[in-house]
Amino acid sequence: MDNEDSITKLLRLKRYEQPSEEYFQSFLAEFQTRQRSEVIHRPLLQIAWDRFSSMFAMPPVPKLVMASSFAAAVFAAVFVLNWADDGTSNATFATASGTAKWDSKARSAQGQKSPAVQYVLPARPVSYASARSF
Amino acid sequence: METLEPPDDELVRRTQAGDARAFDELVVRFSPRLYGLVYHMTASHEDTNDLLQDIFSKAYRSIKGFQGKSSFYTWMHTISVNMAINFLKKRNRKKTMSLDDVDNGILNDPDFIEATSHGDPSREVNLGELQKKLNESMLKLSHDHRAVVTMFDIQGMPHAEIAKVLKISEGTVRSRLFYAHRQLQNYLQEFINK
Repeated sequence: MDNEDSITKLLRLKRYEQPSEEYFQSFLAEFQTRQRSEVIHRPLLQIAWDRFSSMFAMPPVPKLVMASSFAAAVFAAVFVLNWADDGTSNATFATASGTAKWDSKARSAQGQKSPAVQYVLPARPVSYASARSF
Repeated sequence: METLEPPDDELVRRTQAGDARAFDELVVRFSPRLYGLVYHMTASHEDTNDLLQDIFSKAYRSIKGFQGKSSFYTWMHTISVNMAINFLKKRNRKKTMSLDDVDNGILNDPDFIEATSHGDPSREVNLGELQKKLNESMLKLSHDHRAVVTMFDIQGMPHAEIAKVLKISEGTVRSRLFYAHRQLQNYLQEFINK
């Protein structure tokens, strides 16, 4: 542990290896000069890219807000799709008891042009032949 | 009456809003400390100057993406250490610093006197010898070990802060320090108290 302390004490002496205060005063001036020259000598492609990306730049939005707006957008999209679907295939919502009613409505709406789509399986099988069991 | 200096956060916000002078203030505030960090890793004043300019340029370009999850101090240290390590990986040659760049205050430092005299006042205090040995031993450390030693031993940063800067656990910081110190003990044996 003594050796550890001695090492630390020795290394702390390196803090004296600092440039003078004048250096730090001129450092800022050099930094500003470099920045200006960077702006002047920036490649055209980079400038174009920066402008392009700034067009689509978004302000920082918290993740929760992003998530809830995404969820709202998804919900709205599902609602709109279902609503649009109602005109042609509202039988989706038919219950077993109301199947016939929906079917007749659908047939009259479509002017008997095409057979109504049956979404609910009938209680009786298509074949009237008695089921055999072995 | 002294005027209160604005906190780092406020200067960062102003810079993000487009006030370049606020960033100048941050450069003035952070350059001495970051200079020390980069210099003790590169062991070259010339390289440190260039690298520090690049570090502040990079920070200025990316400050809009700084969300304040860590302090600006930690953020700047992370950029500096990463850029210094990348620089060292590219630089094959190992430079040593010029020996006349030391603040004369070191001659009055009790730790320096203790290290160079070994309790024997008749022994000549040899600043050059100690400095040369310190730099040589630092350069023998791996980049990761050198970064930890610089921040802990030279700059006096706590383990937790170093862990945040390097994005490693405190345990890893302590382990790196342990191995680095063991290595340094071999190189600096003659200056360690007997």
